[in-house]
Amino acid sequence: MGRENTVEEALNLLRSRLCNPSFVFKPLSDSPDSNYSKLKFIISSSVTEACNNSILLLGPRGSGKIAVLELVLKDLLVEFPDLISVIKLSGLLHSDDNCAFKEISRQLCAEHQLLFSKMASFDDNSQFMIAMLRECGLAHKTIIFVLDEFDLFAQGKQRVLYSLLDAMQSVTSQAVVIGVSCRLDADQLLEKRVRSRFSHRKLLFLPPSKEDLQRLLEHILSLPVDSTISHDYAVEFNAKLQNMLADEKFKQIIITYMDSDATVNHLLRFLFRAVSYMELGSGFLSLENFKTALSNIQRQPKLECIKDCSILELHILVCMKRLEVKEQNSYNFNSVMKEYKSIRASFQISEYYAWSICLRAFEHLLQRELICFTDNRGQNQSVEFRPVKLLISSHELQQGLKSYRSCPAILFKLMDREV
Amino acid sequence: MVSFISFHRKGGSILLLCTCLHQTKAHWRESFIFPAFSFTNCVLLYNQVLVATITNHQSPSNLFSEFGFCCFSVHFFSDIRVCGSALISSNQGLLNWVLLVFGPFSHQKTTICPDFLNPKPWLNHLWRKSENIGHRRNSMGKEESPQVTRRTTRSSSSATVGTKTCDSHPLTIKDLVFGEDPISLNDLLSSFPGRRIQILELVRLLGASNSPMLPLFIYGGASSGKTSIVLQMFRHLNRPFVYSSCHTCYSPRILFESVLNQLLLHRKDAANGYSSAKRCERPSDFVNFLREALSNVINNFKGNSGKLGTKKLVGQADGNMVYLIFDNLELVREWDKSSTILPFLFNLYDILKMPEVGLIFVSNTSPDTYYSNMGYMEPIPVHFPDYTEDDLRQILMKNQANRKLYSSFLDVVLRSFCRITRRVDELSTAFLPLFQKYCEPLHDLGVVPNEEMKRRLFSHLQPQIAPSLNEVFKVSSQSSPAAESNKETKKKSSRRKLGVCAEIDELDFHMSTSAKYLLISAFLASRNPATLDASLFDSMGGIDSRKRKRKSSQKSLEKKENAEQEILMKGPGTFPLERLLAIFQCLTSVAEGSIDEEEHGDEGSGVQGGDGGLMSDVLLQLSSLCNANFIVKGGSCPLEGSTRYRSTVCEDMALKVARSLKFPLSKYLYRR
Repeated sequence: MGRENTVEEALNLLRSRLCNPSFVFKPLSDSPDSNYSKLKFIISSSVTEACNNSILLLGPRGSGKIAVLELVLKDLLVEFPDLISVIKLSGLLHSDDNCAFKEISRQLCAEHQLLFSKMASFDDNSQFMIAMLRECGLAHKTIIFVLDEFDLFAQGKQRVLYSLLDAMQSVTSQAVVIGVSCRLDADQLLEKRVRSRFSHRKLLFLPPSKEDLQRLLEHILSLPVDSTISHDYAVEFNAKLQNMLADEKFKQIIITYMDSDATVNHLLRFLFRAVSYMELGSGFLSLENFKTALSNIQRQPKLECIKDCSILELHILVCMKRLEVKEQNSYNFNSVMKEYKSIRASFQISEYYAWSICLRAFEHLLQRELICFTDNRGQNQSVEFRPVKLLISSHELQQGLKSYRSCPAILFKLMDREV
Repeated sequence: MVSFISFHRKGGSILLLCTCLHQTKAHWRESFIFPAFSFTNCVLLYNQVLVATITNHQSPSNLFSEFGFCCFSVHFFSDIRVCGSALISSNQGLLNWVLLVFGPFSHQKTTICPDFLNPKPWLNHLWRKSENIGHRRNSMGKEESPQVTRRTTRSSSSATVGTKTCDSHPLTIKDLVFGEDPISLNDLLSSFPGRRIQILELVRLLGASNSPMLPLFIYGGASSGKTSIVLQMFRHLNRPFVYSSCHTCYSPRILFESVLNQLLLHRKDAANGYSSAKRCERPSDFVNFLREALSNVINNFKGNSGKLGTKKLVGQADGNMVYLIFDNLELVREWDKSSTILPFLFNLYDILKMPEVGLIFVSNTSPDTYYSNMGYMEPIPVHFPDYTEDDLRQILMKNQANRKLYSSFLDVVLRSFCRITRRVDELSTAFLPLFQKYCEPLHDLGVVPNEEMKRRLFSHLQPQIAPSLNEVFKVSSQSSPAAESNKETKKKSSRRKLGVCAEIDELDFHMSTSAKYLLISAFLASRNPATLDASLFDSMGGIDSRKRKRKSSQKSLEKKENAEQEILMKGPGTFPLERLLAIFQCLTSVAEGSIDEEEHGDEGSGVQGGDGGLMSDVLLQLSSLCNANFIVKGGSCPLEGSTRYRSTVCEDMALKVARSLKFPLSKYLYRR
């Protein structure tokens, strides 16, 4: 019983680590030329020198931009507890100007123990923000604006960006604007008046190198020897882990997985899955866990969809594919049925399905999104007249038919032969 | 406002009777019956009705006092989902619903239906929950859903009156769990045959109590057990969760408010005017409220577990994780074209940054159908494949009284039906009447069939299989066994072979004669080219058209083919109102002779008068036909400026209507 509890505790620890980005990115931030050090230097110097600054953090989704920023901010809040206040906005939530100003005021109010009025107008809020900037500047307090999904703020009139950056042009204010975006051309989206006020400092976040990756894996997966988890178990666990990490097969799995996307978060999802598969009985991570995780996480949804289809639905798909081969530029259910009938006639297929059954099978295909309507016009047309198209390539269809259990041979013939 | 909707079956075709009563009460719409049942239409109608009921009307008390109840009755397994959504929508606190279920369900008289051969297990749970609403809040978010009575016979339908919600206790934090005794993992596995791998994987991914989780994305085809398994999983785990389906929460605001209501333990009732706990339209507000609500709930759980230590109360939730389940996520894609909601939901985990929150998305379609320009961190995919034939056998075998007999029945039918569909809901509806047929020669249903008997039963059933294959998606009635014996050879009648369809002549369309004529004339106007109107309806032109038909050179054949192709692609043509009315006049003037003979001086004789009073009547009929989706209003023609109409009625149906009028429709149809 005690053993099982230990294993469960270890599993919980691993899982909570994987769900906690700031833990994951900690080891990557030691070296002096890491993004962490650079970012920290930039922000802390603008705090100490009481100047304005703006930075863009760019990198693919899941490369840890926000996590590193959070680490930096946490450290800085400890270092200069009274000199910083942080305002966080996200482009997903606050891309609307009105909303953004409201949120800024709300967070400013919460930060400075002021009463926030929900009824305040757009103008009130923007005035309030500028006044606060000035006041904070006079009090030598730096306001750090974090704009997540920065590119979404660059839609529309960019009023928020403009008023933020414009307010920072004055000597009295003291603020740092940090834009975070996964669009590398995020600064090109800015209007001229905004761009000219923006300091073109950019920090690029790249996927970890192989060595870093190895270090990261070890950091995440090894258990602490000096915690509530029993010492012997942790030591044994770590030894097994080391063995596995050195294993060529394991490295291969990781490389295969990272081929599609090399960001850290992508890795985390894989590790999460593998760790979840850990046997509670044995209590150790095994290569098997990672193998199953790999096969379960790398999915081929379209193939799965084809495998789920019934034979009749496959017939319809093949008919549609044949119509496409015939270069019929647009077709609908009726023409598919015509093709189906002609196939039935020429190959003497005995099974007969009524029109309504085929229509339902067709609707199933639509539901599965293996096919879709070519346009949204003609909403009031009935289904059978609206032009459709295949959403899978003929190669995928071929592949799907091959992997289908007990697929009728006639379908392969129909796929290959042009009648 | 819709006060009564029911799906009737009469003589085998499915009739949808819909009486729409407007809020003004001044304007009654005709009752319609839809002889040719189109599922899509029906769902559309249903949705419209739902939206109408929920949005149009602000003061529920008015509605209650006027009508007392709203009634839905359903035949289809697939409709049950819609119906279920109607039921959940009633959480929006607007209506009192009474659910009437008859048809195939009438064989399962139990209130607690067996898990699988049943509409939707979760729906069933939902009913059960709402029945004892007085004791517990139910976990699917119909806090105030009224007492739901289920009737299994049609006869009682008229007598049903919605009963008022009984007063319920204030919600507590315990109500966030499933609310029934937790089941063991083994029970869970055995109640879902063929889903072992998926269930075990989900258990693994959800992890032990208090262990954080990355967002999950569960996907798989319709009726592969996604929702039920997830919900039963939480029953097994006994952890707090919030379930909201995007089917019923059809707009961001309703979705947000439904989540918040459940988290804030808010119940909509007459006292608060059926309003939500928070008014929240934007994602930004939602995040603020959600964070607040979640941290409240989590602190509550933490406090509880701290106080109680190891002691566990009954109904107490395990751990302090809270799970948010978003069902039917695929519908969100259509919500807004700018599509900020979808990336928002997918990024919700990163935005909240609360490790105590688990997100679970349930979707019909695979993750690759969600790609957008935006991009997001993909959740962890879990696939529910469709059932294999063996799984289906196990599922269908569940809860059968005589398993041996049913198994031999499945030997006969399952293989061929699986070629059409592997959806449990469709199969079980199709098998129900077929099994009855299979059992017909038997006196004792408890008998264990031997080889010889199997052969006998098989030969009895065999002629039924092929036609019933084409019946898979229709609900058949138990009645009218007489009809089955006659027409068995004609291909045309294959739909009727199961003895489902009674004679069409007997079919009462519940439509006035003039509406029928209008329907036919719309059909003709859509099918026939306008240039031929003169020759078809003018006695002088008839010969002319016949003459044209004769010549068939190479070129004209080609032309014919092209035209055929075109009609396949374009569907029925459009026509202006004037043309419809002209044809209508012609038809009724032809028909009035026969009507006079039969001394049926109803609508037809009105035509004779041909005055303005009739016209307004006809226009009213037209508008009601439009509302019933028999005729659709298209965009206006840019040259003429008048609205153009299009008939959606299929030929079979038009012929049926014509036959009921004894009108020679085929004479007027132009064949290319």
